[in-house]
Amino acid sequence: MRGIILFARNNGYVDYVKIACASAGYARKNLSEFDEICLVTDSASADEHPELIKQYFDRTIISDNFQPENTRLFKDTANSPEYASFKNMGRSEVYELSPYEETLVIDCDYFIMSDTLDQVWGSENDFMINYQYRDIAGRHGGNVSYIDDFTIPMCWATVFFFRKSEFAENLFNLIIHIKYNYKYYYALYNCSGNLFRNDFAFAIALHMLNGNVSFKAPSLPIDYLNNSFDLDDIFRVNSANDVIMYCAKAETIEEHLLSRFTNTDLHIMNKRAIERNVDTMLELGETL
Amino acid sequence: MSNETINSSSEEQERLAKALDFSNTMQTFNLAKNNLKVKTQNLLSYSTNGGTFRVSQELIAFVNMAVTSGKSSLILLDKNDIPIQIDDTTKFLEDISSLYFEVINEYYNDYQKLRSSRKIEKVLEI
Repeated sequence: MRGIILFARNNGYVDYVKIACASAGYARKNLSEFDEICLVTDSASADEHPELIKQYFDRTIISDNFQPENTRLFKDTANSPEYASFKNMGRSEVYELSPYEETLVIDCDYFIMSDTLDQVWGSENDFMINYQYRDIAGRHGGNVSYIDDFTIPMCWATVFFFRKSEFAENLFNLIIHIKYNYKYYYALYNCSGNLFRNDFAFAIALHMLNGNVSFKAPSLPIDYLNNSFDLDDIFRVNSANDVIMYCAKAETIEEHLLSRFTNTDLHIMNKRAIERNVDTMLELGETL
Repeated sequence: MSNETINSSSEEQERLAKALDFSNTMQTFNLAKNNLKVKTQNLLSYSTNGGTFRVSQELIAFVNMAVTSGKSSLILLDKNDIPIQIDDTTKFLEDISSLYFEVINEYYNDYQKLRSSRKIEKVLEI
């Protein structure tokens, strides 16, 4: 079986479950080679939208594992930055939770607007993830970021694929170990900040799994992860594969340029922007 | 240093304002062009037999050479340098060629629309 898994736990600030439903609708509309779309959430979040979840997900897995408080800054363009809790520690458990032989994991703010990710199914690779990213507003030309100038390249755990295999099982065991000891590994790898980040944990685990020797996991069929950072906004959603974005200017981030994205998968980090458009996105996506 | 005052005529000021205003158009144009280029790169991806290939003129020319020299199957390195067996080279060539033409034609049409219009409202259909 081939499945797409989204994680969503509401935090009282962002309605992640509703956003995940919109993202699942987009995935169902633009991809066709999978068997199921599955939501992993907690019982409190699931109770907030039971009908919506039934419409967009083939399966729901309730995981009420305790998650330590992780607080991060949320921005809605350059205005109104706010701190809120952030429950991102569940995805390392995905290997155990996934009922699928092949699993594509996407963040709930990742919107699949092309059929390119259908190419992951049946891959030779046990695990695929992107190291290259770009900023849709062109502020960072970046190809590969490094955790630190003296350490290892960073990968983006926004989207990844794995097959049930010895490699993937060991990788996720390491990620769980890093999660519970992340302060030690942050010091060892010169990671910035105190916030636990899956991106760091995945990069460190991949490095350790290769005997602490430089290594890059195979890339997903998309060459770049297309990031729209939280300084950007959504101008208008035209269809499930067509959106017009306000892209913050490099020099003056309070000003924006308009750009249209068709047949391009987008990671939209401005959650408030998604929430302002989520009803339209739910309508445009495909339900069961 | 002298304290010279730069006096410009209203006509010069108008020209300057117009040139600076045009920078917005150029930024928008270049942003749209880059995003089209990246979209094209992502769409030029083809997967078969567990491998993923970046479809390029080089790949098409290489496979065409193999087909014309009578090779019905061959091993190719995919984008992650994994060797992948291609059982039917003719079909593979047809598939990657048609994907290439389809994606590049779309790129061409989008780019023509972009360069022929200086009005962003027209390009974005807003």
